[in-house]
Amino acid sequence: MVRVLIVGYGNPLRGDDALGLLAAEQLRMLLPDVEILTCQQLAPEMAATLAECDAAIFLDAAATGSPGTVAVTRLVPQSSSAASLTHHVTPQTLLELAQTLYGHAPRALLVTGVGASFVPQQAENSTGPSQEAEAALTPAARAALEKICRLVPELLRDFPALW
Amino acid sequence: MPTIIIDPVTRIEGHSKITIRLDDEGQVQDARFHVTQVRGFEKLCEGRPFTEMPALMARICGICPTSHLLASSKACDDIMAVRIPETAEKLRRIMNLAQITQSHALSFFYLSSPDFLLGMDADPEERNIMGMVRKYPQMARDGIKLRQFGQRVLEMLGGKRVHPGWIVPGGVSHPLQAAQRDAILAEIPEAIRITRAALQWFKGQIENFRAEVRSFANFPSMFLAMANDTNEFSAYNGWLRFIDANLNIVADHITGTDYLNYIGESCNDDSYLKSTYYKPFGLKDGVYRVGPLARLNMCQNAGTPQADEELAEFRELERHSVLSSFYYHYARLIEILFSVERMQTLLHDPEILGQNVRAHATPNQYEGVGILEAPRGTLIHHYRIDQNGLIESANMIIATGHNNLAINHGVLQVARQFIKGKKLEQGMLNRVEAVVRAFDPCLSCSTHAAGMMPLDIQLLDADGSMVDRLLR
Repeated sequence: MVRVLIVGYGNPLRGDDALGLLAAEQLRMLLPDVEILTCQQLAPEMAATLAECDAAIFLDAAATGSPGTVAVTRLVPQSSSAASLTHHVTPQTLLELAQTLYGHAPRALLVTGVGASFVPQQAENSTGPSQEAEAALTPAARAALEKICRLVPELLRDFPALW
Repeated sequence: MPTIIIDPVTRIEGHSKITIRLDDEGQVQDARFHVTQVRGFEKLCEGRPFTEMPALMARICGICPTSHLLASSKACDDIMAVRIPETAEKLRRIMNLAQITQSHALSFFYLSSPDFLLGMDADPEERNIMGMVRKYPQMARDGIKLRQFGQRVLEMLGGKRVHPGWIVPGGVSHPLQAAQRDAILAEIPEAIRITRAALQWFKGQIENFRAEVRSFANFPSMFLAMANDTNEFSAYNGWLRFIDANLNIVADHITGTDYLNYIGESCNDDSYLKSTYYKPFGLKDGVYRVGPLARLNMCQNAGTPQADEELAEFRELERHSVLSSFYYHYARLIEILFSVERMQTLLHDPEILGQNVRAHATPNQYEGVGILEAPRGTLIHHYRIDQNGLIESANMIIATGHNNLAINHGVLQVARQFIKGKKLEQGMLNRVEAVVRAFDPCLSCSTHAAGMMPLDIQLLDADGSMVDRLLR
């Protein structure tokens, strides 16, 4: 059985930045058998979890590109010498850590949805932080989120042929 | 006057730069550590209800939110004049020890270990965390695992790793479950193994760093830390004590009500970080240090068996107090060992699963002070409220402020020792950064990433022309 990890990350207080994180939360309901992590930032500790997987999909928001569009990038382990592992860890660095430290990095894809606004938004009629973040998404980001939720199960179905 | 500027200082928490001024002969005349980011928390909390303070203050920092939560909640306990339930106090202690563990693990393994493992003179292309990961994978796995352990305890108790909201004025919001306790206990033996292995390794390396031991802010100074009746290591409850370099008590039994008589704060023209000093001696002579080195110099015993063994060996480094700031790294490892052992004891206490974990009250006094030993040193939160419970004023003194004068002293000492002439070499500049790293300063890391930015060091001649330049 293919072991899959989906990681959705972003800042729920920064408008469309949360779209990857929110997509992961929706996928949790669509894909009950898949391990899904949500977080504000990637952390080096995730390398150990990644090393135990065959396939990984990172879900993130993008600030450049046409709002509402979604892109899929194949990731390979890679790190820069300036990587500090404290504030900003890239998915590629995590894969490199998994490969170097635990001897295995999963095949991995980065799915990004382009957002339109990354400033804090005040949502009306929200009932909690998650709902608030979702209500604060721009229509473009919401469209991207929906595309991601349709796309990810398809990507998993195609594993490993198209990865 | 020729000037070398290191901007930003890398592998620390936050934004800072260093300026080194040379005289016409190329000798170091002066060196300064500047913090270039501004924090506005004392001002922006004015007018907020005091009960919001713990959650608000936790946002000061993404590495030490738990420390601010704890100090802030203690200040709120003081405003409400409540004695929190014993179980709540024990749970808060565990939280503080987990915070010390994960923060020290980050400092030692992620930020500073490339210097020890790859050498101060190694090419910066290699002397970084990924270089260390490739060359010493077991050490890297250990570092990740130890930090993960600390983070997991915070997550299990607080509900999430960063910015947990579990600690509240009057105690904690909900009791510990037996399953959570058992899960933490199960991971403790491995955390102890990793820490002991790192200690063993570090002790074997000290001989290779004699020059750094000699020059890394190695000077007689006072030390400030929390003390208590037992003279055991204390991080949560107690009063403040100043000792001198010969371990004599300079001032004792300092509490929240009179700390302002002993600790002065001075603003600097060239840095957003204030310098604190021992008030009775004034700014010039009132230099003291806080944090792991100060705490180990202060206590007689750690209070746990394995940490006590290590502490006894640590004390053999010097006749009186241990003065070289290079040993902050060593002290950090001993503190991790103590923290993990103490967590184990606290978790075995049957009271730890008690259901009474919160005292409720409205404000009973207009002022409250919370004092805590955070990973980097003594943390003070002091609030004054109006009759409606709204914050009128807040004063926070963070560890890095206490250490600011000592850090500056250290930067000058290292620059004088290693920088000679007008040609720059990476190794000398890295040592200037590494002395700052030894203190593990936290300059409020909530907004930017220091490690991602290039390091641009320029050596300017007396007429302002560039003599040399190094880019990373």
